[in-house]
Amino acid sequence: MKTYFFTEAGVVKAVDGVDFQVGKDEAVGLVGESGSGKTVTGLSVLRIVPQPGRILDGTIEFEGEDILAKSEEEMRRVRGAKIAMTFQDPTTSLDPLYTIGNQLVEVIREHRRELSKEEALEQAMKLLETVGIAEPELRVRSYPHELSGGMKQRIAIARALASRPMLLFADEPTTNLDVTVQAQVLELLKGLRENLRMSLVMITHDMGIIAEMTQRVQVLYAGKVAEVAETHSLFRKPNHPYTEALLQAVPRIDQRKNLKVIPGNIPNLIDPPPGCRFHPRCPYAKELCLQKVPPLEATDDGHLAACHFWRELQLTGV
Amino acid sequence: MQQETELESVKTAKRDTTETRRRGAGQWAVAWRRFRRNKAGLAGLFIVLFFTFIALTSPWLAPYPPRSFQSLYEGEAGQPPSSKHPFGTSRAGIDIYSEVLHGARGDLYVGVGATVVAVAIGIVIGAVAGYSRGAGGEILLMLSQVFYTIPLLPLILLFARVFQIMVVRGFGLTLILLLLGFFGWSTISFIARGEILSVRELDFVQASRSLGASRWRIIFRHIVPNILTPIIVTATLLIAGNILTEVVISFLGFGDANTSTWGITIQEGIMYMRTEWWTPVFPGLATLFAVLGFNLLGDGLSDALNPRLRD
Repeated sequence: MKTYFFTEAGVVKAVDGVDFQVGKDEAVGLVGESGSGKTVTGLSVLRIVPQPGRILDGTIEFEGEDILAKSEEEMRRVRGAKIAMTFQDPTTSLDPLYTIGNQLVEVIREHRRELSKEEALEQAMKLLETVGIAEPELRVRSYPHELSGGMKQRIAIARALASRPMLLFADEPTTNLDVTVQAQVLELLKGLRENLRMSLVMITHDMGIIAEMTQRVQVLYAGKVAEVAETHSLFRKPNHPYTEALLQAVPRIDQRKNLKVIPGNIPNLIDPPPGCRFHPRCPYAKELCLQKVPPLEATDDGHLAACHFWRELQLTGV
Repeated sequence: MQQETELESVKTAKRDTTETRRRGAGQWAVAWRRFRRNKAGLAGLFIVLFFTFIALTSPWLAPYPPRSFQSLYEGEAGQPPSSKHPFGTSRAGIDIYSEVLHGARGDLYVGVGATVVAVAIGIVIGAVAGYSRGAGGEILLMLSQVFYTIPLLPLILLFARVFQIMVVRGFGLTLILLLLGFFGWSTISFIARGEILSVRELDFVQASRSLGASRWRIIFRHIVPNILTPIIVTATLLIAGNILTEVVISFLGFGDANTSTWGITIQEGIMYMRTEWWTPVFPGLATLFAVLGFNLLGDGLSDALNPRLRD
């Protein structure tokens, strides 16, 4: 999959050949720094990449159907009903002008026209209960500004679940929340995934959430896949220097070490570095990394890694 | 025992808070609280309500029908203000008081009606221009700029005259209303476009897209309502402008000669200003106060609705 943004400054290669699969009932993590293409991957699957972005090539298949071949009208029946997404900032992801009930009813009736407003409102209250909101009959009459951030995120999740999607993209669902509320929201997502038997893609930069929530991880760097692996295996023994660096940047309570940061910034995606995109920041970079783009290869640990030297490097996990 | 009562009072307090929260202070209630503190805005609101009342009831309030020369037959033409004719009568025998009341009806009809037309056109064009990036949006933006730059008054005068002669006789003030509306939407469309460019980037727009909402539903249910406050403010100011333009059009003799407007009366009296000052002065004062009222109201609304000023 490739999604480029055609800006006046040049073509931003936000997602440049990212392949990934989500199995039924599976929880997959998409991890990477800001700007690594996590969110755009999600938006691409729903085909709601904002202008001037365009999905250039690749295939996105869902239940054996090609999403890119669908008409806009067909696509609308997929969005929300089969694939849904929640967004980073709960303070802006709800329309400030309508009550919670109103917004849920709108989404419920979008895909089930036969329901009356009253029936839909009842559904809405059940949804609120599912996401652990007390007194749903009062809450449906509240406006977003009357609610806390955690509640708003729960409601945004409820809204995404309104039509029982098979696949949910949760885009940094905890970034703007308190630590205690974060734990609650994660717990909620975990429970929902198990109860509703849906697939979940966690988009995050937090390795802790990945460990907690997912079975498989896909590490993105600058619009390309760096490594794919089972979550356990990835934490134990990363096969890509970037993954190692990400793991080292997680604070550990049992080790009195200074936190390692990854030097430098994510590269400019209009004119990415030649060869391996990570080489300017990679402590193990050699001449070859500058010249040749590393292919994504299956490694001995059963990972997929895009590094020329995965065989030689002895990377440490946690 | 005492503990129990305490518990009871805690319970009641709790119930009270849920009660108020349930009703919630809607954004309009908050705006009204802010607006109420603004004296100039309140004065504007009062003036606007006053003129609206007159416009709605003028057929029953006014002692004489519109454009009636009856005072001439009563031998009372060209008289200064008196108890029978509070604003005097014109040389042709029109009761100025009745004419000012009827004029409020005509001028508010044009002022408000033209604004409604302009806002409707402006929102649709601005919304599409702001939401769809690409060639379509660019063309609509250019169209708005054209309408913003061409001098409207001569064009409206030309169209008014041509239409009155050739096409729609007896269309009356509605013709002026439509012309003002069709030519006056550009400011609204600029504001709508600019606001939409910022609102469209908010997560809830993306969220409703991700949940299968159609383009039109997103524009008209989620985006347009969120940009209404600056449009309401501009529309209020636009009403004032439209009233003034209508008075000018009528004054220049391009309006509808069979309907009472302040402009016609001013025009009929301006020649005899030295001897019969009351004929042009009273409709002139009415114009002044109506325009002032809408402007004060618009400024007051702008202060009350502006989120950046919210304390």
